Amino acid sequence: MTIQKRRGLFLGVNFFLHSLNSFVLTYQWFTVKYEAEIKRMLYDIQNFYLICINSLVKIFKRPLYINDIIEQMEYAGASSVFIVSLVCLFVGMALSLQLSAELSSLGLKMYTGKIVGIAVIREIGPLVTALVFIGRVGAGQAAEIGSMILGHQIDTLRVYGIDPIKKVVIPRVVASVFMLPCLTIIGDLVCLFGGYYIAVFVSNQSGSFYWSSIIEELTFENVFSGSIKPFIFGYLISCISCFYGLTTRGGAKGLRTSTTKAVVTSIVVVIAMDFVLTRILLYALGFSL
Amino acid sequence: MIIFDDVWFSYGDREVLKGVSFQADFHERIAVLGESGGGKTTILKLILGLISPDKGKIIIDGVNINNLSEEELIPIRRKFSIVFQEGALFDSLPVKENVAFLMREILRLPDEEIYLKVRELLQRVGVSDAEELMPEELSGGMHRRVAIARALAIGKTKMFLYDEPTAGLDPVNSERIVALIRDLAERESIGFMIITHVVYVAWQLCDRFIFLKDGQIIFDGDKRELLSTNIQPVKDFIKELLFRVSE
Repeated sequence: MTIQKRRGLFLGVNFFLHSLNSFVLTYQWFTVKYEAEIKRMLYDIQNFYLICINSLVKIFKRPLYINDIIEQMEYAGASSVFIVSLVCLFVGMALSLQLSAELSSLGLKMYTGKIVGIAVIREIGPLVTALVFIGRVGAGQAAEIGSMILGHQIDTLRVYGIDPIKKVVIPRVVASVFMLPCLTIIGDLVCLFGGYYIAVFVSNQSGSFYWSSIIEELTFENVFSGSIKPFIFGYLISCISCFYGLTTRGGAKGLRTSTTKAVVTSIVVVIAMDFVLTRILLYALGFSL
Repeated sequence: MIIFDDVWFSYGDREVLKGVSFQADFHERIAVLGESGGGKTTILKLILGLISPDKGKIIIDGVNINNLSEEELIPIRRKFSIVFQEGALFDSLPVKENVAFLMREILRLPDEEIYLKVRELLQRVGVSDAEELMPEELSGGMHRRVAIARALAIGKTKMFLYDEPTAGLDPVNSERIVALIRDLAERESIGFMIITHVVYVAWQLCDRFIFLKDGQIIFDGDKRELLSTNIQPVKDFIKELLFRVSE
């Protein structure tokens, strides 16, 4: 081996050892600095999955707490009808207004009903209703459970052997899973009525044509695509809200933080999940892109 | 018997208990005293297995409760009746439903029997006229009384645990709660552990005093030892008591 080769080998090994040393030092610095945060994050992820799994596994385990489920359904469902309808009405009107303006410039105004129908049934109805649901029900659930933690009510349940998952989480999850689809149906209808009002009274289109083109779009694919989402959204929103409620610490400030986190996380997760579900459903139902 | 053997506990980076050790019989009347945020309520939560220690052993009636599951902890927790700070009543239920709650959930009694017992318990703690009120309509003292009635509802236990039973109460209501706790202990002939920072309340009720400072027990003794202690932080803490006792 020539001297140049030896020197090259020496420099190579030296460089490798230095790199390894830097990597180890960086790793040590990182673990020391962020160890607590990493541990807490992993612990939170584990707890979140436990809540998600237990809320399904324990659902039929006695006692069933039927009265609590009904009470939560009333809060999540009946009490949310007005706000969901109001928001969906304006969304439907705005959508129809935008489409009418754009399509009339192309001479395709008669397609307003068709496009509003597809957009509302498949996408906008479930998504807008879920977002309103997060603001009203998800935030309420996180705040209520959080205040039960701070007021030691959850501790009281645990002390006397009452499972908080069964008594507090499952009624809220069940209520959300069944009420969000109902609200979505109402939201879809109101959205379509909003679109109808603009199409007929502002854009001077035929009302019967508007409805007939919407009815044409009530295919199995469209209805299934729009109706499966709220079940999944309801489950996710409720699990996220209950998780943040149950991990509330530190008085009023902690309650504010956990409620905010519940709302923000739910919004991000629902929108991301909407994209994932749309992709899966389009593929599964045979839509070509 | 409750045994704490070199128990350490921390909330994140903040060490709350640093090697706490003591033993207590269920029939004793114990006060755990110390400054706010000194780990008093943590001791109570550790006894009930609501939190687990970082280090050390907690033995209740011969059972090490450190690594027990929620299911396994149920018989341990049933040995105690607990009254949390400010009562921990369920906000959405009226007083009578709050007291009926545990009878319905745990004992599964018929409604007629439950409401009969609710009336009896509310009468016993002196709030029989508050049956239909919601928790937010109750005064601080009434809150604690209803919470005591709820704790009594599941029947006789081995020990009562009170977390700051007189915190935030005026002297008259504070006296009433003290009288009620004493009366219950005598009538039921069971011991209790009180977590408090009000020395005079502890003095009126308890025979044994445990002082916590900076996560460690700095004093553990009876009334006589408390009055003659030379430990400066304890002396500072009981100044008001010494004044009242000498009066």
